[in-house]
Amino acid sequence: MCQWCMSHGAGKKWYMNAKNYSDELAEESNMKDYLTEQWMNFEQVYIRKIMGFSSKDLGYKLKMPVIGKILRWRAENMIHSQKKRRNPVRADGHFGQVIPLEDAQIIMSELAAEPIICNYCMCRWMQRKKKEAVCINFGVLSEVLEKLPRFIPKDRVVRIDRETAVEKLEEFNKKGYISSVWFQPIPYINAVCSCESPECGAFTLRNNFDINVMYKAEYIIQLDQDKCQGCKSCVAMCQLSAIRFIPSMDRVIIDYNKCFGCGVCRHACKHDALKLIPREDYPGFDGTY
Amino acid sequence: MSKANKKKRTKIRIDYSICGEKGKIDPRNCGLCMKACDPAVFIMHETLGTEKKQKDMYDPQDWRITPIWGSLCSRCYKCVEVCPENAITITW
Repeated sequence: MCQWCMSHGAGKKWYMNAKNYSDELAEESNMKDYLTEQWMNFEQVYIRKIMGFSSKDLGYKLKMPVIGKILRWRAENMIHSQKKRRNPVRADGHFGQVIPLEDAQIIMSELAAEPIICNYCMCRWMQRKKKEAVCINFGVLSEVLEKLPRFIPKDRVVRIDRETAVEKLEEFNKKGYISSVWFQPIPYINAVCSCESPECGAFTLRNNFDINVMYKAEYIIQLDQDKCQGCKSCVAMCQLSAIRFIPSMDRVIIDYNKCFGCGVCRHACKHDALKLIPREDYPGFDGTY
Repeated sequence: MSKANKKKRTKIRIDYSICGEKGKIDPRNCGLCMKACDPAVFIMHETLGTEKKQKDMYDPQDWRITPIWGSLCSRCYKCVEVCPENAITITW
């Protein structure tokens, strides 16, 4: 449990606190105007200059002496900003965490605010020009997105009920997409994404530049070595290349530093060898979000 | 990283007079380089400053592609090969 559960979780995980989903919270801080402004310009977030620097060639900029350190500090501050006056055209206070399918389904069936919509993923659109309706947004953000033609499928029903959302999440998860839940901005939660790497901007930033836009899940995968038959089907399922097959051992090994604890690999395992355990039960990786 | 292994900075340039808001290709219709790139170096975005120029804020029409994660580029040249108008150049 990290500082975000402490300050916004009310004793539970931050995304299990119903208060963070409420319409009252959205109204209180005038989220509708903020989110409209943010989503109208969201593709520009990487090219906009912050302190004279855009994210272009960020990998090189972060390696610069002194300036690199200041940039990293500034970026982390921006992403985790809890200030009252946040700038909607930047990603202020916007970060997420990987969640396993079970938690995502609890969010959709019990916590998410109506209306719920399923719209085109922005990351896939801006990084691959691919329009795939895999993002589930809810609450005030739904009304905002319905005005933006590039995120709403034209020929499909956009508003969905809770049962459909739960079914869709399972379908995406079995495809190999990683569920993630998002503060947008802190402490308001309004999106459950189904991400893949490297299209997802958050995974790109986290895996390549170690900027904490995406946190690892509260869980970690555990492999039962006796049950693993070495069929390799989980290797193909992992978006983050955390599993690899070792021929001499005739089983897979898991790279726990790369594992985000999404549990997508479980869908591929026919021998019940993979299961999720709480991160705090795994001594070496307790607190490594 | 030792000095011998140090990679030089990859510079990817897109000729915006060919591909972009004023060029003959609209990236929203093409986007072949984005699909060809394995590490997803390119992003497509509305051009900055569109707020003033455009009437329709909800459906902006000026788009261009920026090679944003240049440090991830593996110099495989797939984007250069796939571009129908040869608008991309890579140097280092």
